[in-house]
Amino acid sequence: MSLMDSLAAGLSLVGNVEAFFMLFCGLVIGVIGGAIPGLSATMAVALTLPFTFSMAPINGILLLLGVYKGGIFGGSIPAILIKTPGTPASSATILDGHPMAERGEAGRALGMALYASCTADAVSNLALILFAGWLASFALNFGPPEFFALILFSLTIIAGVSGESLLRGALSALAGLLLATVGLDLVYGTNRFTFGDPNMMGGLNFIAVLIGLFAIPEIIAMAWNPVAHLGRARALGKTRCTLADYLGSFKSIIRGSMIGVFLGSIPGIGAAPSAFLSYSEARRTSKNKANFGKGEIEGVAASEAGNNGVAGATLIPLLALGVPGDVITAIIIGAFMVHGLQPGPMMFILNVDIIYGLFIGLIVSSVFLLIVGSVAIRGFRFVADVPKRILMPAVLILCIYGVFAVNNNIFDVGVMFVMGWLGYIMMRNRIPAAPFLIAFILGPLLEDNFRQSMLMSGSDPLILFRGPITWFFWLLTGVTVLAITRSTLRKRVPLS
Amino acid sequence: MKLRTLGSVLALGVGLIAGTAMAEYPERPINMIIPYGAGGATDISARTIAEPLGTAVGQALVMANVTGAGGATGSVAVQNANPDGYTMLFARVGSHSVNPAMKATLPYTLDDFRFVTVYEINPVACAVRPDSGIDSMEDLVAKVAEGGVSYSSSGVGSLLHLAGAMVLSEFGVEDPLTQATHIPQQGGGAAATAVLNGTATFICTNSSALASFVANGQLKPLMVTTAEPVVGFDAPTANDLGKPALNKLVGWTGIAGPDGLPDDVAAKWGEWMAAATQDETFRTTMEARGSVIELMDPETANAFILEQYNTFKALVDQLGMRIEG
Repeated sequence: MSLMDSLAAGLSLVGNVEAFFMLFCGLVIGVIGGAIPGLSATMAVALTLPFTFSMAPINGILLLLGVYKGGIFGGSIPAILIKTPGTPASSATILDGHPMAERGEAGRALGMALYASCTADAVSNLALILFAGWLASFALNFGPPEFFALILFSLTIIAGVSGESLLRGALSALAGLLLATVGLDLVYGTNRFTFGDPNMMGGLNFIAVLIGLFAIPEIIAMAWNPVAHLGRARALGKTRCTLADYLGSFKSIIRGSMIGVFLGSIPGIGAAPSAFLSYSEARRTSKNKANFGKGEIEGVAASEAGNNGVAGATLIPLLALGVPGDVITAIIIGAFMVHGLQPGPMMFILNVDIIYGLFIGLIVSSVFLLIVGSVAIRGFRFVADVPKRILMPAVLILCIYGVFAVNNNIFDVGVMFVMGWLGYIMMRNRIPAAPFLIAFILGPLLEDNFRQSMLMSGSDPLILFRGPITWFFWLLTGVTVLAITRSTLRKRVPLS
Repeated sequence: MKLRTLGSVLALGVGLIAGTAMAEYPERPINMIIPYGAGGATDISARTIAEPLGTAVGQALVMANVTGAGGATGSVAVQNANPDGYTMLFARVGSHSVNPAMKATLPYTLDDFRFVTVYEINPVACAVRPDSGIDSMEDLVAKVAEGGVSYSSSGVGSLLHLAGAMVLSEFGVEDPLTQATHIPQQGGGAAATAVLNGTATFICTNSSALASFVANGQLKPLMVTTAEPVVGFDAPTANDLGKPALNKLVGWTGIAGPDGLPDDVAAKWGEWMAAATQDETFRTTMEARGSVIELMDPETANAFILEQYNTFKALVDQLGMRIEG
């Protein structure tokens, strides 16, 4: 079949109102689901899955993809407005998005999040359509040693999000690494730091830690001193993101999209590390470096481009290899299988109409996201105008409900409150929470891949340098560490 | 303080509900706990049966994923629940036969549960990369003797972990734990990827997890553990290879309640499942995913699981695979 025939076949599949309607519904469900803290994009997709079983394959898959893309964007709404990431992927957005909202620029931050998300989404979809085969075969070169080198490099992000003091950032990261060791040992299957409690065997729930660390300290601070915020300008969620804002951040958006595409096409990393990596790269190269973390719009753009860049790219391993790229695509693969479709190279031959139908749907999804997102922002940005004394108790209830809903486990709610107090103590001592979170995400990946490498090689450390990909990331790590050391020394300020 | 208040409210609620449980079962919605994550094999299986099952029960089934620790977290939640038939568990081969056989410190044993049904059997298949130069189980065993062979799994105490060791042991490899390396991964998808990208040599897992890779020519099946051939898998069965003992190595999904579940409740579940598994949509959906629908009544299910558990436990003791920590 020629390209034109394939396109025509694809068009005939999606060329009906129902397919586009499903995609649109998916985006609406996703944005709302993502905007509710604790519900997360993953859960929204999982809850939608059973409804797709009775639909035509293409409609069902487009519905799920809509929920996925909408959810990843929707997560940025509460991240900016109430400092609570709706999905783990939007935790990087808090760093600059929330300070902007505090300053009365919620509308501007939300607008930038939307435009960056849509741009990254479009780049990601194009990458999927044009380079799926090539990126997939590249991704297959990533074994445990390559992963180890990549994650090690990613840990240098910690320096970028430590704020004023590298030492405090490192302390925060160490605490994160430590807490990430709770649970079952990957290789021996033994209990680690579980203290005999079955609830601890699965490790600390990621969303409980995330919400506890970011949202709860704000609430505690509010309860401690209920009138502290009075007299400070907040409100005014009516500011808008201008074309100049967009163009000023354009380079970071494109860079973030590329990082998202690259990390998304490698199975097993996910959107949160990508957002953080994009953020730290934007900070490293920006003119307004000092303003990052205090409400820099480019930071919001970079984080949102980084996480939405992943959304299309995770379909690369899914379609080209049949391997799910992250937790969400692992759920979506279920929809393929229920309809008797087997993702993988043969699908490009056997079901080419569905592949092209998907491509067409994906391109349209970026435009739909812009429409749905604009409406959502218009509705949500006035949350910034709600008085804090009314907003905060509502946020607390949302957090408890959300964390409980993740796993239907009251223990997780306890974890959230304990982490909340830890976060409050850290806040009072000016210890940044972001390094904690990054270490908590990356720590287990680093450990698992290191130990898998050691199993592969029979404990020969040379396997960590086995090919050009590992050399590349080792080199990057070395250069970055050197640069951080130099800039820290040049500042001539005491480390703490 | 807030937690305690919430806890006491919950306890009060549970107490009120327990008081009314005397009437005809079921008179209110039943909580169904899925101990694995959304979108996984157990989750999809559970949600597919939930539809016809809900009709048969005549009450709503409230599905909740309680995940973590290879199914242990959700299983413990049901173990500690009231045995009144209003909290039931979707039990799976990993959480209720492999893990109890392997892990000494697991907070539950099979005696803590009463199984009311097993409704789905998943054949297990072993596969390698087509360019690995391994064309049969004989080749694989010969390669193990040379050294450097590894197999991937979705984690310690998973069916895949045990399957790799059991198959090698059955084919005459004396000490599969030292002669082949087990490389655990996080989850079934990652386990298959590890074989695709050359991290591990082979994988033994549910045929449904491998079906798309086999159909796409990315993986080559070496054998299936059932007596009957599996559609789409051009490989000999365990019986063809003269190893009928491997027929025990299959995945399954069932439903269990806490130990002490009354006989009449168990009998009711037997009737409901008999009705639910007749549903045409359920059958076609499950069969499209490579499952074999095989309904067992409460007695048969308990016997089947116990027998598999004993087989696995004997192997674990023989090979020294027990996890003591």
